Amino acid sequence: MIEIKDLTKYYGKGESRFKALDGVSVRIEDGEFIVILGASGSGKSTFLNVISGLEPSDGGTVDYDSRQLDKLSEKELTKFRRDNTAYIFQQYYLLPHLNVEKNVRMGADLDNNKDYLKFIEAVGLSEKRKKFPAELSGGEQQRVAIARALAKNPKVLFLDEPTGALDEKTGRQVLDYIIKLQQEQGFTMIMVTHNGNIAETADRIIKMNSGKIVSVTENSA
Amino acid sequence: MIVSIKDIVKLFGISIMTCCAVTVCNLFLNYYLDLTAIADLNDNPYSQMFYDAQIMTAKVVCAVSGGCLAITTVVMLFFYIKHYIDSHSKEIGILKALGYSDFKIAKGFSVFGLSVFIGCMIGYLLSFVLMPQFYELQNEDGYLLELSIHFHWILFVLLVILPTVVFAVIAVCNSLLKLRQPCVNLLKGIVKARGKSKNIRDKKTFVAEMRSSVLRSRKTLVFFIAFSSFCFSAMIQMSASMKDLSSEMMGLMILIIGIVLAFTTLYIAVTTVIRSNQKNIAMMRVFGYDSADCKRSVLDGYRPAAYIGFVIGSVYQYALLRIMVDIVFAGVEGVPEYEFDFPVCFITLAVFIVVYEGIMFAYGQSMKRIPLKQIMSE
Ligand SMILES: Nc1ncnc2c1ncn2[C@@H]1O[C@H](COP(=O)(O)OP(=O)(O)O)[C@@H](O)[C@H]1O
Ligand SMILES: [Mg+2]
Repeated sequence: MIEIKDLTKYYGKGESRFKALDGVSVRIEDGEFIVILGASGSGKSTFLNVISGLEPSDGGTVDYDSRQLDKLSEKELTKFRRDNTAYIFQQYYLLPHLNVEKNVRMGADLDNNKDYLKFIEAVGLSEKRKKFPAELSGGEQQRVAIARALAKNPKVLFLDEPTGALDEKTGRQVLDYIIKLQQEQGFTMIMVTHNGNIAETADRIIKMNSGKIVSVTENSA
Repeated sequence: MIVSIKDIVKLFGISIMTCCAVTVCNLFLNYYLDLTAIADLNDNPYSQMFYDAQIMTAKVVCAVSGGCLAITTVVMLFFYIKHYIDSHSKEIGILKALGYSDFKIAKGFSVFGLSVFIGCMIGYLLSFVLMPQFYELQNEDGYLLELSIHFHWILFVLLVILPTVVFAVIAVCNSLLKLRQPCVNLLKGIVKARGKSKNIRDKKTFVAEMRSSVLRSRKTLVFFIAFSSFCFSAMIQMSASMKDLSSEMMGLMILIIGIVLAFTTLYIAVTTVIRSNQKNIAMMRVFGYDSADCKRSVLDGYRPAAYIGFVIGSVYQYALLRIMVDIVFAGVEGVPEYEFDFPVCFITLAVFIVVYEGIMFAYGQSMKRIPLKQIMSE
């Protein structure tokens, strides 16, 4: 369970200080699939970064079960990340000088996961597993990033517009795979997306605007 | 543009390096030229003897400062500039894609010449500040009555104008060379075809693979580290040895400048290595690799190169001084014996270990404090 209370985040100083998150509170249950919707600049990425411990907050708390994120030392935070979370970013952030397989092993090794090839297969890149990121299309690179995150067997998976660079069909395939895996393994999944179809498959939809949550919709599927 | 006048501040390392090298070179070369100018004016045998000895030491020092300081500085600068341009290929690609002409982009890199010029100019002026005292000390007993400071414009051209022009041209040409690639390659960061992927043994763990691929992918950086360790080792030991072969003042001066230069070189190389690996490290941290893993996989790979560089530097400086002493002082009486100086070598090694490991360690510590988001969006 992730308990988020009154989360605030500022950017900049003095006159130009900008409130990117403005008192966000929400509770996310284990195994839930949450989709976050909102216009560009509404604070979705910031929200994801702060609740995942990538960025410190300026107020409020994020609790994972009994663990309060901002009370963790850097060392504990690293261990927390290692054991619990995985990310898929809008920009893929692959390691440029490692081939597909090695990029996926970056995630797999953390969980001593020897069976990582199945994730490469699942995203349809078995043929290209010896290629380097620069030799792949944007969509293929994103699929590597997805396989890399999944190979870590995370408890919570954060996704920031993961299929932005994929065409409708490929995007759909990849997301279906992620969702299937999520249902099988029951990890918590928090995804920012603009894809309305995907939003419908989520357990809950959080709408954001100007750093605030404007609505939380339960999907009673 | 990619580098602007403001970046001069960031490139201060270049200025410090050139400043040190030019100070030493000009001090001794100027002295040497002034000395040769009064060659025929010695009327008594005492001053003739003293004069010959002075010429000889000046020769040794000039050869050493020229042969070691100048050349190493040039090599360091060359690689620094090349690496800087390599690591900005994305920005270059964007400008190119926007329609800037190759030459217009490349021209921006000529500011490297400016930072070289600043360093050289300060070094040149500094050497003239030090010169009166230096001349006086060299001629303490007053044998060389006619010795006085002259301005040699040839030295100004050689030590200030020439480096400025050469490095501006090197930077521009280097970026022009880079610009010959297709735009897309620049944007994607493709350097050249990687044919080696088949040889990669798949048994390796991620951390092990990461380490070897980090080294493989940026060979210049490995060379950079090795070379700077080489300089560090050679310069400090050489300047320490010079103390016995020349006057106290001269030795001290070389020692100070050697140390400044050595530290700057090493600092530049280590921080360059760190900076160009920052993103990889950030990504590893996002996944939950701890700083020890990051350090092991990214930074520790450079260690062998650093220590090999150090050893070669020690041998090189010994060989160079040995040859110098044998040639220049051949047949001269009363020249101090020159032997490999083990205590100095050990002290230098100790300092090197402290500095090298210290910077790496300090970075490892600071790595924890930098917000991940900041690194990734850079
Ligand atoms: N590092 C930063 N410094 C200043 N402002 C920032 C920074 N990061 C994001 N912002 C601002 O915060 C707001 C929210 O950004 P973000 O969370 O990325 O939006 P979204 O992901 O919803 O498009 C934007 O207005 C953006 O300009
Ligand atoms: Mg965003």
